[in-house]
Amino acid sequence: MARLIRTEKEVEGRFEEVWIVVEEDPLEQWPEGPLEVVGRPAPRKDGAERVRGEARYTADIRLPGMLHAAVLRSPHAHAKVRRIDFAQALTLPGVRAAVGSGEAHGLEEEAGFAGAPVAAVAADTFAQAQAAVEAIDVEWEELEVVLDADEAVRRELLTEEPRRRERGDVDRAFAEADVVVEATYRTQTVLHNSLETHQAVCEWQGDTLHVYISTQYIWGIRQAVAETLGLPEDKVRVVCEFMGGGFGSKNGPDEYTFVAAELAKRTGRPVRCALTRREENTSAGNRNSTIQRLRAGARSDGTIVALEGEFTNALGWSGWNASTEGPMRMLYDCENVRTVTYGAKVNTPPMKAFRAPGFVEGTFGLECLIDELAARLDVDPLQLRRRNYASSNEGTPFSSKNLEDCYRRAEPHWERRHEVRGRSDTVWKRGVGMASQIWYGGGGPPSYAWVRLGSDGRATVITAMQDIGTGTRTAMAQIAAEELGLPLEHVDVVLGDSARGPYASISAGSSTTPSMGPAVRAAAADAREQVEDIAEQRGLPKGTPLEEIVAVLEESQILGKGARGPNPTGMSVLTFGVHVVEVAVDVETGEVVVERVAAIHDVGRIINPLGASSQVEGGVIQGIGHTLSEERLLDPETGRVLTTSLDAYRMPTIADVPEIVCEFVDRPDEHLTNLGSKGLGEPPIVPIAAAIANAIRDATGADVHELPISREEMLRALREAEARAREKEKRGAPAAV
Amino acid sequence: MELLRPSSVAELDGGVLVHGGTEVVPLLREGLLTADRLVDVRGVVPRGIRDGVVGAGTTLAELEAEPAIPEALREACRLAASPQLRNMGSLGGNLLQATRCWYWRLGYSCRLHGGDRCHARDGEHREHAIFANGFCASAHPSDVAAALVALGARVRTNRRELTIEELYRLPDESDRSTTTLEDGELLLEVELPTVAASVYLKAMDRKRWSFPQVGVAAARHADGSTRLALAGVAPIPWRIEGVEALDEATPLPRTEWKVPLAQALVRRALASLE
Repeated sequence: MARLIRTEKEVEGRFEEVWIVVEEDPLEQWPEGPLEVVGRPAPRKDGAERVRGEARYTADIRLPGMLHAAVLRSPHAHAKVRRIDFAQALTLPGVRAAVGSGEAHGLEEEAGFAGAPVAAVAADTFAQAQAAVEAIDVEWEELEVVLDADEAVRRELLTEEPRRRERGDVDRAFAEADVVVEATYRTQTVLHNSLETHQAVCEWQGDTLHVYISTQYIWGIRQAVAETLGLPEDKVRVVCEFMGGGFGSKNGPDEYTFVAAELAKRTGRPVRCALTRREENTSAGNRNSTIQRLRAGARSDGTIVALEGEFTNALGWSGWNASTEGPMRMLYDCENVRTVTYGAKVNTPPMKAFRAPGFVEGTFGLECLIDELAARLDVDPLQLRRRNYASSNEGTPFSSKNLEDCYRRAEPHWERRHEVRGRSDTVWKRGVGMASQIWYGGGGPPSYAWVRLGSDGRATVITAMQDIGTGTRTAMAQIAAEELGLPLEHVDVVLGDSARGPYASISAGSSTTPSMGPAVRAAAADAREQVEDIAEQRGLPKGTPLEEIVAVLEESQILGKGARGPNPTGMSVLTFGVHVVEVAVDVETGEVVVERVAAIHDVGRIINPLGASSQVEGGVIQGIGHTLSEERLLDPETGRVLTTSLDAYRMPTIADVPEIVCEFVDRPDEHLTNLGSKGLGEPPIVPIAAAIANAIRDATGADVHELPISREEMLRALREAEARAREKEKRGAPAAV
Repeated sequence: MELLRPSSVAELDGGVLVHGGTEVVPLLREGLLTADRLVDVRGVVPRGIRDGVVGAGTTLAELEAEPAIPEALREACRLAASPQLRNMGSLGGNLLQATRCWYWRLGYSCRLHGGDRCHARDGEHREHAIFANGFCASAHPSDVAAALVALGARVRTNRRELTIEELYRLPDESDRSTTTLEDGELLLEVELPTVAASVYLKAMDRKRWSFPQVGVAAARHADGSTRLALAGVAPIPWRIEGVEALDEATPLPRTEWKVPLAQALVRRALASLE
């Protein structure tokens, strides 16, 4: 039975109040622990297809007669097109059409960053299109460029009003604290650099627009394209069967989609618009840099009494002001917290969501500060975290929270620190650090799935969701197989096409499994109940295998239908975890080697332990890149990106990957859906930077305050620590206060 | 564009020379090189190793696996690029590769491109030079070149013989090139003297597939002398006499960190030759 409810919808930590129609979720949760299929490791159903090169990504789409588009981008960080002339470009070989600002959504007259899209050309080949773009004659009017985020805040160049939050009496709490620590942390701009660049192929068939696109949100693309082009939504078909990564950067359509659609309309041909790797590095979104000025006050027994943070997100020309203050407000039980968050509007490429936006950056600052506090108090960092354990989310109860279980499981890894430190020598200093994780990941309605069952005893799950590379296909098949009592090999999943299945959730905010899984289970249960009905009518005994029951169906089919039920009202659905990291630091050369990561996460029920481990490993590796080597650099004079290739933008290689130990609490959230599963896409990247930094402090005594922890930053921190130690020695002060 | 495949030096007649293509092809694609005629010299340049003479067409992958090659050069090859690139990239091409300076790679009108300023000096230069960086602050990226300088290698071209150091020159106002090769001159062979011991140490910003932040090659020669050469610290491979030479470095504000790093690596390299 469907009902209309008013509810708070959360994606990536952004909330909005919406009306939605939800269906009841009457199924009891399965018992805790591994079942027949769910909870048991399953290799990816499409693994062989992918490694054989048979999987068809958007980048593989080649439609008959397809043209290629290239985009003209602003060379200036801030400029206006005074005059643009396509005449020369249109005479070049192979050129079919050109569009400028006002002709395709996303092409703007005012370029707010170097790399902003201005115009586009379609030609028979991509090289011809590129040549034509170079022949477009543009007269620019250069405008004032602001690159410094602090300057932008001073001048009130902000994307929105500063976000101020306060609870308790912060000033009094700081005045009464026994110990106050403060520090400024800076995090850099990093790029998603998905293996598959942002791209779309658009084709008109009659009045229907077919959009093949590398996306995390098929239905969001359908809605946004329809709205922008003034089409009924059913006249937009969106296809994404395989996807080469998004990490938050492919949640919506961008200029490349509208360029392809418009040029396809003008030429009557399919048009492909794919960003090059260079464009991917200049114009496809980023994790914005931050400046975090933080303060923590505590009593000498380790009780945190006050937290304060001023956060500046250097968002670029556009973007949204992610919750960098979130961890400070949510991770610990502290009565007095004050934060202000600025979204600085500067003339740099716009931010886009990037795997736990805000919380990755904010956790680095907060969890480093907590360890500095632990060092000052001479308290064990794990003990300090336990002492300040939050029992509610600012007064709202948690639907489930097993962070204490994570801490308990972390103990043996944490205990290793004595042995790890003991393996230090004069050059290589070793140490262990930890950091906690908090993030969203509850998903929500609406989401739908169908299950089709034939007389061969095979089931097909049909839903127009996307598998963005996380292994969703396999997890959904496992859920259906479990509910139907079928072997996993007898369940297929059809997804990736808005014309072939019902509405499905975005794959962002760690929401795919918790949003889609319950709908798939409900559809499978609906089918199972129909099967049981048939069995009863045939007088078959309980427990008769499904294949035997449906054998009589012949051409008839069983169609199950399922919907995602509502989230629990009045509860905070959050994910938790802790990382314990072992590092070695070469104190002469500043080299940092991450040797071991123990990642323990509480995300409710685990559907596929193998897929879950892969997620954690991927998050840890991406986090190591963020922590140690990745940084997008700009020319300080022009604001142009300097690191436009994968040799200048340094992602970790497989040789940089440490031993990664994954553990899960694997306890269903009893309040959350028929599965009790939360998402896991983002949690593993949240705590890794702080855990590495804290391990470095444990190993060397040096406080790193900036990401990435390059050799430059590491050597600076070591010099500072040495100077501090010398100063202390001179004063003859005791080692700890 | 035409592609020529000459089989002898005599047939060479202009064009852009290419061997493994790991450098020339990206430069063509980026428009930093333009060529109407591309000349594949794989049929011309000797490949292989015999009696201490290495064909300039020998790949880095072949060098790293050859026991007769001094350790410094083998290690420089092993730590360069990726296996795929080492399978294609030749010794000669590696010695002639251009800087990784982002301003140069993005086509800024910098001094190396004939312009009138070094953008890195005033701009983003954290990976740049600590020596000889007044005119151009680019850092030479070749691990292999530093190893050959320490080894005291000699080079034979189709026109002359020279020391490896004579192959390189600092760019200046009148001539922006970083090598002394003339038009139509082609590296053919590299002669390696026998050394008592040698080593190459390399600092990278990740474990593999990284150009040197600082590379240090050291070799103890038959006469008892030790030669040291550095990669990633000057616009060309940089020879120094000893660790004290680093006191004379002239780092830019954001390359100061390279000085203690180079000092540490030089000390380690020398200690390992003891």
